Amino acid sequence: MASGYRYFETVEKHAGLLGIGIAIMVSLGGLAEITPLFIRAQQMAPPANVKPYDALRLAGKDIYVREGCYLCHSQMIRALVAETERYGHYSVAEESMYDRPHQWGSKRTGPDLARVGGKYSDDWQRQHLINPRKTELESNMPGYPWLAKEALDPSDILARMRTLRRLGDPYTDADLAAAPAALEGKTALDALVAYLQGLGTTLSANGTLPDAMLDPSALEPAP
Amino acid sequence: MSTFWSLWVMVLVTFNLGLAFTLFVWGQRVEIPVQPDGTTGHIWAHGVLREGLRKLPLWWVLFSAALFVFGIVYFVRYPGFGSFKGTLGWTEYSKLASDRAVNIGKLQNLLQSYEGQTLAQLATNTQVLAMGERLYIDNCAACHGRDALGNHTLGTPNLIDTEALYGNDEATLMSSILNGRSGIMPPLGAVLTDANITATAHYVRSLSGLSHDAAQAQAGQTTFMTLCAACHTPQGTGNPLLGAPNLTDDIWLQDSDLGTIEASIRNGRNGKMPAWNARLGEPSARLIGAWLYARQQANQ
Repeated sequence: MASGYRYFETVEKHAGLLGIGIAIMVSLGGLAEITPLFIRAQQMAPPANVKPYDALRLAGKDIYVREGCYLCHSQMIRALVAETERYGHYSVAEESMYDRPHQWGSKRTGPDLARVGGKYSDDWQRQHLINPRKTELESNMPGYPWLAKEALDPSDILARMRTLRRLGDPYTDADLAAAPAALEGKTALDALVAYLQGLGTTLSANGTLPDAMLDPSALEPAP
Repeated sequence: MSTFWSLWVMVLVTFNLGLAFTLFVWGQRVEIPVQPDGTTGHIWAHGVLREGLRKLPLWWVLFSAALFVFGIVYFVRYPGFGSFKGTLGWTEYSKLASDRAVNIGKLQNLLQSYEGQTLAQLATNTQVLAMGERLYIDNCAACHGRDALGNHTLGTPNLIDTEALYGNDEATLMSSILNGRSGIMPPLGAVLTDANITATAHYVRSLSGLSHDAAQAQAGQTTFMTLCAACHTPQGTGNPLLGAPNLTDDIWLQDSDLGTIEASIRNGRNGKMPAWNARLGEPSARLIGAWLYARQQANQ
């Protein structure tokens, strides 16, 4: 094997070659970990109770992304007892299959929002978004008072929904036809509150996931 | 996981580990040709830098070997090598289930020891109060405030004053927490003129002795007797069965200024206390009840 040593000089003296070698070795890990999950995500069938966002919630989701809520709030409850005790059942993939981009996140300056829907009243959400100190004195969340004054623009929701339909979201023609009217006269705050109130509500009322989403084979983590 | 993807992972893992391990072993045994000047003959910068000969430090070799052992043991014991489940049968979900069982077991023991005690008895136990406060902050404080003083913007009641919309006895309080409450005041904007609403608001303020326009209040009394008295009683003392607040005292769910009262009459109010039975369960909810009881006693 001694003769193999001469190849070392080539690798040592050619940074580009070394870089390619490193890239190949590192990619092996990615190929093993990411590809099977990626392929499975493409094949995921939506459970009956998981629907794409209606027009108002979709507009709300876009405002959530625009205002950068994900910088402080995650939307993924991990399967750890400290998380499930505080936030409820751990998140499953199907729940965020219509999020583009996904809002899972890992930064929690504020609490996780994956199951915040229905935890507070609409009124509470409004007051809290306009001025968080009105409901929680010690909150360090910024206020978003302009959302209440910002009228939604119903004209571009159709373009957004058509794009999502092209990407595979099952919007019907009737959904699209009704979309602009659903945004008429609504503010950005209405949309954001509607979005928040829908988060995690595919859970049934007693706090458990529907059986279809608890199929153990569907949840088993792929290595 | 399908057979194909299982094999895919196994092949990649074996190849990667195998290649790394081969290099690890070979790197130490390979014979390095030594030049007369004691270097390997690899030169950089026209001979200024020359590669010397040193064995790898022993600690590095041992540490790397230990990592290989760790990796292989891990793949044998834990899931990760394709669809092989590992000899321990460990999954994230069974771990969560057992952690939860431990947690619930601890809590259950504690809650069982409190069974059969009234809120007043529970309220003497400092451990109960500590748990009750923690549960209150997590579940109730968002609307009722950290000090349980209520929130006029949301219209949530103060929980530690002497008055309660539905009653403060143990059974009623626990029912409020477990089953929730829904207090609906219908909007009257469609049936009343603006002048009528303003007049009625003056009358409402007069009931609790707040400053008001006497002539307006006089005019508003008629409306009050026809529309409002059904729930708030002709005297305005309210009806706990309906959750209709007493209008004659100085306790207000919302602000007591004229504009806010007018808004209540015009748009109605939809007070909603959610039911907490599903989330908390009665034994835990009683801890909150005990904490509130202690706060009420301290406040009197």
